[in-house]
Amino acid sequence: MSGGRNGYMPGRMVVKGVNEATSVGAASDRRPVDLGVVAVAAVVVAAAVLRPVLERLLDRPAVAHWATVFVAIAVQAMPFLVLGVTISAAVAALVPAGFLPRVLPRRPALAVPVAAAAGAALPGCECGSVPIAGRLVAHGALPGAALAFLLSAPAINPVVLTATAVAFPGRPEVVVARLLASLLAATVVGLVWVRTGRDDLLARARRRRDDGGPPLAVLVATAQRDLLQAGGLLIVGAATAATLQTVVPRSVLDAVAGAGPLAFVAMAGLAVVLAICSEADAFVAASLTQFSLSAKLAFMVVGPMVDVKLVALQAGTFGRGFALRFAPLTLAVAMASSAVIGWWLL
Amino acid sequence: MTPAGGLISLLVGTVLLRLVLTGTYGRYVRPGMGPWLAVAGVAVLVVGLVTLLQALRHANPEDAHDHHRHGGGDRVGWLLLAPIAALLLVAPPTLGSYGVDRGARVDIRAGTGVLDPLVAGAEPIPMTLLEFGQRAFDRDGASFGAAAVRLTGFVAGAEAGGFRLARYQIACCAADAAPVVVRVVGGRRVPARDRWVTVTGEFRPGGSELPELAATNVVEIPAPDDPYE
Repeated sequence: MSGGRNGYMPGRMVVKGVNEATSVGAASDRRPVDLGVVAVAAVVVAAAVLRPVLERLLDRPAVAHWATVFVAIAVQAMPFLVLGVTISAAVAALVPAGFLPRVLPRRPALAVPVAAAAGAALPGCECGSVPIAGRLVAHGALPGAALAFLLSAPAINPVVLTATAVAFPGRPEVVVARLLASLLAATVVGLVWVRTGRDDLLARARRRRDDGGPPLAVLVATAQRDLLQAGGLLIVGAATAATLQTVVPRSVLDAVAGAGPLAFVAMAGLAVVLAICSEADAFVAASLTQFSLSAKLAFMVVGPMVDVKLVALQAGTFGRGFALRFAPLTLAVAMASSAVIGWWLL
Repeated sequence: MTPAGGLISLLVGTVLLRLVLTGTYGRYVRPGMGPWLAVAGVAVLVVGLVTLLQALRHANPEDAHDHHRHGGGDRVGWLLLAPIAALLLVAPPTLGSYGVDRGARVDIRAGTGVLDPLVAGAEPIPMTLLEFGQRAFDRDGASFGAAAVRLTGFVAGAEAGGFRLARYQIACCAADAAPVVVRVVGGRRVPARDRWVTVTGEFRPGGSELPELAATNVVEIPAPDDPYE
């Protein structure tokens, strides 16, 4: 697999070559290799030793509930994360740098809505779209457009819209409202981003260069790195969501549900803290019978765009400074968009 | 952290495949996810294995470059060890009664029209708690006729004259679980909380908030492989 590294380079290697460090002097004295592997083994052994303690903890219902929800979010997200990471790695390995900016529309007024609509083509939920958007930015796509894609993809793809139709039987206007409100929010956020021009905040993602080497080696190396990074951040988000689900009692929900505009804000907030996969959030929204349809729409529009695990993923991919500005902006726009569309259609 | 990272990926893939092979994944996600988890598991396993083998074959200077370029960003991958440790050693259980009163209930009124009447036979008719609730809601249970039904769920606490039987509906994973609750009356004794039971009996009209089942038989069973409806 690594045979091509030193000698033969396939023809596509024109633009790369930043870190073509050849691996001649293998097996030097420094061996961080073994240290890391030993550390992983140590963690696993330590967990094995502590097993009785863990088992006793799981006898407590609250802890068991937390652990099940935590593991469930992580397990559920893995296939989608793997899909997103694979597509991202395939772009890194197969698409030459500089290709995307050449073929994508340049004018923001066109590029952003097109990118938002293109989100419909990626079947999956939000975890997969973050690494893909990161790769698009690294390859020189207009950041506002990549962000519009990032926001719309998990909300408007056919899988999610079908799930929404199933969750709200006999109410096709809910599906239409979700599609329109999500597209609108993604486009507005993308255009606002183009206008304010804080692309410097994306420096981290833009600096990323694809590794050099044969495509297959690049694919594996990129997938490995993205998988660990996105996977680790997903764990942060899953733990946060599980904690909130375990400690927030239902009476709080019931109390705010009846309170008009407060209910609307509460549903948006709930979407942020519950961090439910966009393929499932329609069912959860439908089950929150205390709330109005507009409030449920806010839940379904905000959830795929801003939630605790997504913010963690975005901070890791694009940088913390970016996430600190992008998340509040997106939250505000998504809420406004669902208020307008909800008032119009529902 | 390339070699260690490879090892972590290897473990992630192994855990995913183990979940699928043992069927334990049914505690966390819906059954249809099985094949996708298997595919993801194999993919992660292969990527981890290749990374690990490559790293062990030549501990090359490129790794050091990688490390500098990405700063602390890669270190977050270590967090993946938390669920790995949890799943390799003590798979967390199916959701139990703890969450029944903490989240929103399933809306049994959604999507029901007029339901076909049940035909009473020699055997009780097995049905989901959701269907039981929907039939109870539809014209105050008229579609039950005189048919006996059989429900399977877990005990979510004792009540006056009986207990609450519950089962979660999930759309994707346990994080979006919402319970359906039925009140069981007339059982001779109340099984322990969170114990799985199969209850046979007839619908009893007039239940106020929860649909009611007048039980003729309550049998304790081991937790099923597909704990969610």
